[in-house]
Amino acid sequence: MSEQQNPKESRPEIPKSGVAYGETIYWGTIASAVITILGQVVTFLTPGSAISPSVLLSRIWEGKEVAAIWEGVGVARPANEHWYFAQITTGEGLTMFGIALGVFVVIPALLASAWVLFTREGRPLFGVLAIIAALITIASFVGVIQMPVG
Amino acid sequence: MQDLMKKVPELSLLIGLSIVGYFVMGAFNQVGEAGALTGGGAFVLVLASFILSVMIAIVAVIAGVGGGVLFTPIMMAFTTMDTLIIRSTGLVVAMFSGLVSSGPFMRKGLADVKIVLYCAIPIIAGAMLGSYAAIALAEVMGAQGDAIVRLLLGLILVFIAILFIVGGSNTEYPEPGHVSRFSEWMGLKGSYYEESLGRPMSYQATRVGIGGLLFLLVGFTGGFFGLGGGWAVVPVLNLVMTTPLKISAASSGVLLAMGNSAAIWPYIKVGALIAALAAPWMLGQVIGGILGAHILARVRANFIRYILIVLLFLTSLKLMSRGVETLLGIDIPVL
Repeated sequence: MSEQQNPKESRPEIPKSGVAYGETIYWGTIASAVITILGQVVTFLTPGSAISPSVLLSRIWEGKEVAAIWEGVGVARPANEHWYFAQITTGEGLTMFGIALGVFVVIPALLASAWVLFTREGRPLFGVLAIIAALITIASFVGVIQMPVG
Repeated sequence: MQDLMKKVPELSLLIGLSIVGYFVMGAFNQVGEAGALTGGGAFVLVLASFILSVMIAIVAVIAGVGGGVLFTPIMMAFTTMDTLIIRSTGLVVAMFSGLVSSGPFMRKGLADVKIVLYCAIPIIAGAMLGSYAAIALAEVMGAQGDAIVRLLLGLILVFIAILFIVGGSNTEYPEPGHVSRFSEWMGLKGSYYEESLGRPMSYQATRVGIGGLLFLLVGFTGGFFGLGGGWAVVPVLNLVMTTPLKISAASSGVLLAMGNSAAIWPYIKVGALIAALAAPWMLGQVIGGILGAHILARVRANFIRYILIVLLFLTSLKLMSRGVETLLGIDIPVL
């Protein structure tokens, strides 16, 4: 660690690949937060919702397991699928979509960063690492990698 | 604060939307009573979660640990919630402050994209293995598995607190010393503008190979306990790889978001991540994450250590007592 020998004390140049990654993530997360707020409002303004937050929250706080929390609720317990797409018109489905969008946005951000690393910065090693990270995340998203809960 | 709102209009938008949203939810609440919760009770719970989440995110982003380090142990220690639910929500809490702070950190050059990408692969692989192991343990062992998780988590928190104590203040700008050939080849070096000193600083990461192996372990622990792994990312980057504390904290947030995004999908798809619980925590992390990221550039990160150390020790005490209570069937009057 050392001080830079720069008489003008100028700011170092910021890598564009980092900016591409950060900006994609940042605005994607803002969008997902806005959708999540809207989803929560819809949830609380829907009378007699099939997926009531008070049902889910009371079961969660009672310490029930995942299967028991979803039992008898408006949707069957999700089993290795993106269940919220089918429930997008409900508050709970829209809220979950908002959260999922925030989680998903890492994939395009990694690909955008890889593109800049390959084409603008000439750093293929780190471009390949970005692609590998994106592929693992995509595999998890599409369900190639699954969990032993059914 | 007013300056920040002007400089970051999207923060004003989010705060404004949240205030209006929660006001509308409270004023026109249509949620019926269920179990022990009334519609009003559900709203208060959601609002309280949101406010607490904002506070946790600010502290967590400045310390570079991710909110999961505080959320998961506190919930496991002081609530009866299923640990799978806590861990999945903990990953969201750990992830979103890191997600939203990625923008400001990258823009300011505080997070190093090369370090992030190098560490991402072992972190992601470890986090996925950890998530898999956590779900398998919950399925096989039930309450006994929960007790083991609580006990282990308590011990890990003590270890983390000790790491923060031993780390001390002299690691803010570590000297690299000998740089191995592999570290040199990887080229994990750079410079950033240190606003608290008013001058640019340069750095060079060392012990890159050992760092990579440690990140695999960090990822596993993060995925398994739902902590997110940020608690260990900063010490590994700072103490092992000799990266400045501020670069370590900022890169840690970005890494957390990247690593957890792969680990979290299995939880979402099996219904272990429930929006009614996770949404206010996620929103709080987004707003608190932006605030924390802008504060980080101006503060010396050391004082945050002390807050964390106290919180970690208190929570670990409760966690270990709960783990032992369940495993041995005894009552320990702690907290």
